[in-house]
Amino acid sequence: MAIASNTQALFTMSMVAAILPQLIVAFGATLALLLVAWRRSQRTIAIFTSVVLGMSLLVNMRLLTMPAMQVTQLLKVDGYSSFAFSLILISALVALRMSHSFLKAHTEVHDEYYLLLLLMVLGGGVLVTSDHYASLFLGFELLSISLVGLVGYHRESVYSVESGFKYLILSATASSFMLLGIAFIYSVTGNMSFSAAIPNVIYHQQGLGVFFQLGLLLFVSGIVFKLSIAPFHFWTPDVYQGSPTPVTMLMATVSKVAMFVVLLQCIVAQRYLLLENFQLFLLSFAITSMLLGNVMALKQQHLKRLLAYSSIAHMGYLLIVIIVASAQGLAFTWQSTLFYLAAYIVANLSIFMVIALLQLQGNNGLYQEDITRDDLHGLFWRTPSYALLMILGLLSLAGIPLTMGFIGKFYILTQATLAHAWWLIATLIVGSGIALGYYLPLIFKMFEGRSKASDKTKATLGPKVGRRIDKLLVYSFILLGLVLGILPDIINQFIG
Amino acid sequence: MTSIPLFHVLILSSLLFVIGFIGVVARKNTLFMLMSLEVMLNAVGVAFIGAGSVWQQADGQVMFILILTLAAAEVAVGLALLIRMQKKYRSLDIDALNQMKG
Repeated sequence: MAIASNTQALFTMSMVAAILPQLIVAFGATLALLLVAWRRSQRTIAIFTSVVLGMSLLVNMRLLTMPAMQVTQLLKVDGYSSFAFSLILISALVALRMSHSFLKAHTEVHDEYYLLLLLMVLGGGVLVTSDHYASLFLGFELLSISLVGLVGYHRESVYSVESGFKYLILSATASSFMLLGIAFIYSVTGNMSFSAAIPNVIYHQQGLGVFFQLGLLLFVSGIVFKLSIAPFHFWTPDVYQGSPTPVTMLMATVSKVAMFVVLLQCIVAQRYLLLENFQLFLLSFAITSMLLGNVMALKQQHLKRLLAYSSIAHMGYLLIVIIVASAQGLAFTWQSTLFYLAAYIVANLSIFMVIALLQLQGNNGLYQEDITRDDLHGLFWRTPSYALLMILGLLSLAGIPLTMGFIGKFYILTQATLAHAWWLIATLIVGSGIALGYYLPLIFKMFEGRSKASDKTKATLGPKVGRRIDKLLVYSFILLGLVLGILPDIINQFIG
Repeated sequence: MTSIPLFHVLILSSLLFVIGFIGVVARKNTLFMLMSLEVMLNAVGVAFIGAGSVWQQADGQVMFILILTLAAAEVAVGLALLIRMQKKYRSLDIDALNQMKG
């Protein structure tokens, strides 16, 4: 990277303070390696990892109100990126807890799992703060490759090799598309920083304008692949279904937040939206994924596959914010994006938590790989707390009033209305209507068959490892969902 | 010294990239798919180095080194999965991986 200021100190203490959360995670990953060499005990490394993530979260909370700051050319820390990183850390902490019970139920070597998790969080942290294509690339790969490791981690599972391989091949293809896009953009503009203004695209030779457009398209399709937006969504259902539930949880939260934030950052900084063709591309992506995701979800029996399709639809909704971004002030765009992501994360964490706990309960105490719609039958009468959590999550995803999801959709609708994007609004409404067709039956299913289930209740609830913490987590998420749904302003205080 | 126009470099790298991509899509053997991925990544490397030399910056070459690192990491994970696949299915055919449907 061209060294801009050779004379001044390249790295000051205030810069270190700004990226301290990421540094803590990076240092934690190194220490975790040493810890594995010293003592192989799952308890130790699990506690160590949560301490690292917790410390990073605490430090990060302090940064939320800090003014924007450039840390070398590569990174830029501001309130938005800190908020996104806190979302990542929180979801990683929840997934960590779930993984703990998951790994205990299997005879696996577990140390590397936590290491990969830390590396993945680090990748997310680099992504949300990146301000340069090189750091974007590093964060992207750190996140993807550790995720591939996690997807294929559970060796005994029927699906592990299949989903791992599918994810590896497709994500590697996507990242090489993205890289080629960056190469084209760089070769035309001669600068890889986001904040650099685009020079006149026609460079000293003719015909390079085509490469610029092509590069932009390739770059965006690489990132959009990770967000599983419509034409690039084929991997999503298989990988969601085949990976261990805590990993699916990570994929639905950490990876989505990081990718979306970096996409918005890049597009806003480079003012790509002024290009007419580009907007048209995003528009078609958004519309197809909203419709396709919701329609395909209707006939899914497998719960994780259903959530995969619903995530496709949700990313489509969120893409609207990017498309109409130029119409409104930037602050408002960021606020709606981050609020929607927060709502999406809380809902997804709740639902996947219930799925993970149900898997552990399984049939007669054995671990159950597949959770289908039928497993929810009478859940409310067996374990009311799980059912409540699940209902809150589903309602929030469906966007029913008094949940966070409603406020998030409200933000998106406001933005789209201000920009007069009527086609997008129409699709959003139709999509949400279709979505009720699969969220509501799930809720009804939980209330079915009261008399039959009640006698089985005590039998399935055997003594389980770490039940108390899991219960605490379940209750706190129920509370979180309720409180944030009724008082959404709490979150708004943290954004910006 | 005659300089090669940037346009030609980009065409070359696009061609290489397409060759690699066709390999990933058309091959059935997973080992060859991994190799085609390498071809794709190296095609990107050609574009970066060409662009870097035109702009007289080190950025292109730095990116190429990063790409090499990525390729190594990717292949390491890929080969690990490959070995496990061979043990489990006794085959490297990608069509063996078809248990999830729906």
